[in-house]
Amino acid sequence: MELSNISVTGLIVLIVACLLVIALMVVNAIVMVYAERKGAGFIQRRPGPYEVGPWGILQPVVDSMKLLGKQIFVPSNVDFFLFFAAPVLAFFPVLILFLPIPFGPVLTALKVPDGIVLILAFAGFGLLANLLAGYASNNKYGILGAGRAVSQGVAYEIPMILALLAVVFQTGSMNLSEIAEAQGRWPWSWNIACQPLAFFIYLVTLVAETNRAPFDLPEGESELTAGFHTEYSGMGFALFFLAEYANMLLVSFVCATFFLGGYKGPFLDGFWWTFIKAYAVMCFIVWIRWTFPRVRFDQLLNINWKWLLPLSILNLWVTAVVLKIVGP
Amino acid sequence: MSNFSFLNPFGVLDEPGTYMGDFYSHNFAKKAAPGNVILNLGPQHPSTHGVLRVLTELYGEFVMRAEPVLGYLHRSHEKMAEHKTAYGFLPNMGRVDYLNAIGWNWAYTAACEQLAGIVVPERAEYLRVISAELNRISSHLVWWGAFVLDLGAFTPILYAFDDREDLCDILQRVTGSRLTMNYFRFGGVGEDGDERFFSLIREFIPRMRERLKMYKGLVTDNVILRRRLEGIGPMDADMCLRYGATGPILRAAGVGHDVRKSVPYGIYDRFDFEIPSYKDCDNFGRYWVRMEEIEQSMRIVEQAVEQIPQGKRIMDKAPKPAWKIPAGESVFSVEGARGEISVHVISDGGKSPYRVKLRAPGFSNLSLFAEASRGTILADAIAILGSLDLVIPEIDR
Amino acid sequence: MISAIWDNLKGLYSLLVGMCITARYFFAPRKTVHYPRKVVDPEDLAAYRGPLELTRGKDDESRTRCISCQMCAKGCPGNCITVVKGAEGKLPSTWLYDFSLCCLCGACVEVCPAAAIDFSHRLYLVTTTREELVMDLLADLKSRAAAGPLKPEAGAPEALEAGGGAAAAAALAEAVKSSKAAAGAAGSAVRKEG
Repeated sequence: MELSNISVTGLIVLIVACLLVIALMVVNAIVMVYAERKGAGFIQRRPGPYEVGPWGILQPVVDSMKLLGKQIFVPSNVDFFLFFAAPVLAFFPVLILFLPIPFGPVLTALKVPDGIVLILAFAGFGLLANLLAGYASNNKYGILGAGRAVSQGVAYEIPMILALLAVVFQTGSMNLSEIAEAQGRWPWSWNIACQPLAFFIYLVTLVAETNRAPFDLPEGESELTAGFHTEYSGMGFALFFLAEYANMLLVSFVCATFFLGGYKGPFLDGFWWTFIKAYAVMCFIVWIRWTFPRVRFDQLLNINWKWLLPLSILNLWVTAVVLKIVGP
Repeated sequence: MSNFSFLNPFGVLDEPGTYMGDFYSHNFAKKAAPGNVILNLGPQHPSTHGVLRVLTELYGEFVMRAEPVLGYLHRSHEKMAEHKTAYGFLPNMGRVDYLNAIGWNWAYTAACEQLAGIVVPERAEYLRVISAELNRISSHLVWWGAFVLDLGAFTPILYAFDDREDLCDILQRVTGSRLTMNYFRFGGVGEDGDERFFSLIREFIPRMRERLKMYKGLVTDNVILRRRLEGIGPMDADMCLRYGATGPILRAAGVGHDVRKSVPYGIYDRFDFEIPSYKDCDNFGRYWVRMEEIEQSMRIVEQAVEQIPQGKRIMDKAPKPAWKIPAGESVFSVEGARGEISVHVISDGGKSPYRVKLRAPGFSNLSLFAEASRGTILADAIAILGSLDLVIPEIDR
Repeated sequence: MISAIWDNLKGLYSLLVGMCITARYFFAPRKTVHYPRKVVDPEDLAAYRGPLELTRGKDDESRTRCISCQMCAKGCPGNCITVVKGAEGKLPSTWLYDFSLCCLCGACVEVCPAAAIDFSHRLYLVTTTREELVMDLLADLKSRAAAGPLKPEAGAPEALEAGGGAAAAAALAEAVKSSKAAAGAAGSAVRKEG
């Protein structure tokens, strides 16, 4: 869809879609905060949130009320504009990234021909926000965290793109809807069956891209207290939190669309399959967070440059050769 | 930007005539190479386990220099000893090192007993060994959880506390408290173990063995943890001896020194156990030695529970609270969870001891940190700090 | 090269093992004791050292066995016990215990010639001010004796029983009130003695 061709109805659809995506991001954060704390609790043989509401389901709501009510503390000598721009910049670009995701056969906000390019191009914004937050808050932990965030993000984007590119080669399209459409209904006809290595690489890189444990170095609390968001309180912190969960949801949706058949699934296609698959990936991310220790910074980069990058190039090369021989 | 430096990236903190930070950081910053960052880890930092403060000079993420600053938890225990009766100082021993209260109990009581020539009944000796070894296990469990927490895994600490809870229940049966135990008395112990105490121990040990297998699968064999620990933070035998490091740190450097074997005190010479030592001097060695010590401690407890005779828990005519230590001087060393605990008591025969010197193993062990962390990256420095098993109240006393 | 790949594969397997362990514990039963709804088994508290209490007299349960010998007050490392001898016989007129100074070492219990003091098993003691931690143990003994005769030797933590909870709390509040009044009286008494 060319930008000049957007009609009035198209614009209305876009605005409604944006609102729905914001709603999805907020609801997702609430659900995931609850699910993560409950999951962590169960893994650690404790009940997790328990007191607020039945089984503690109101806990995230109460938490967000608390964050809203907290004082927004601004340390001395901060770069005032950037300090407040960073959380906003972390949260809002994620909104754009959701637009090309095909939730269902017709449920796509913006049918962009090169959807994955849009997503990968805007994914860097979150990185920029982390950098600015660390830089602006006049805190040495913040600067260290920001430095880690940038080198980690830049490094892990490359194997991520190469892993996704293998699927793009195979499908012959950068349109997310077409990629989902090209896969079959049953697990053995999904892309994960013919691209297991790309799936594995993507799984590792998505954890690193979203700064989640065991790759949560920018905010590794035992070293950097809270890394780039050390100085943020109240809503500033809440926006970073929302952005983290929104990013997690986004990479899970991309994972579901690229490797797990998207909205296609056994018996009846529909948006429910996208959601089930994306949340399964989210559960996986939560699960490994509560299992593994954190890797060290040089190890993180070594894993990327010495293993994931060569593997993803190899994978791309093999895909290309096989496609040339067999035909698309 | 001519006067830009990483010490002062915003150019506003360090005006002439004023200095940033306090006395320590000011003097530390003076020696820093230009362009390096001075980072003040602690006293409120998640991985300094209390209120240790470490000043670090960072070049990027590399620690060029690190200097621990102590004294944030100083409670003048040694001075208190000069004002309390010998008996009245006993409860302080549980507070010096709250994770290994029994070890300190033992060192102080035995030093006083040595001076007075008191002989402890047989059953009390066994109860002392059982409680000290259980306390060692619980201390190592807390260390294990906290250390792995430093490395970024949150779950193991809760598993460790799950097991430690059982140990606390067992020790509470005899000591009456769960943390700051005040169990030893001059000439014996405070309470006798009942049948439930021993049956709880017999249930606990096989359960703990199962859990150790789980710990091995979840943490010890984990490739991320292995690569975080192996070859990091070398502290060789020479360095340990120079700084006076003892306990698992010395044993991880290949020196099999353990007071329980080298200078057997109490009835440790009756038990069959090994002193684990590791030759690689690295973080993993310290990790492995402590995990192995849990197993060895369980062996000792098992034997002690088998062999314990009937008898009195405390000698007849045991010293009363108003007891005066006879004039003289004595030193007693025991093997605590963190290393060699020594208590040096000097008495002039008065109401309270003339002087009590507490030799805390953590203090000497911490002094290795400055040298061992030089040139490592920040995450490794944190791991080294964690591997030293620091309990700040014990270091500051 | 081959060995590095093999090492990494082994490493990945070790990660899988760890994930299996956490997954198993995910479905294992919880260990938490939900405090207000569930409490620790009183049997496990048999040796627990709570704040001190006076043991009940042999004939009259509301009378203390204390003979005002001051051994406990002298032996206490924290100076948390104030015993003032009363007019009639050896019985104390005031028996104040400052729990905020007590380190629960047990010196007083061990030294007492009349076995008049013991540790209670009150695990759930909560106060909002420091003054409330200064307890008048004579009043406490009276209120406990009034609440009912002692069944077994180990005093069950009264505050836990569902029915008696409110009554015990009221008794505690009363004891605290009287202890405040008594603290003033004792202070003046000590001053007179001095």
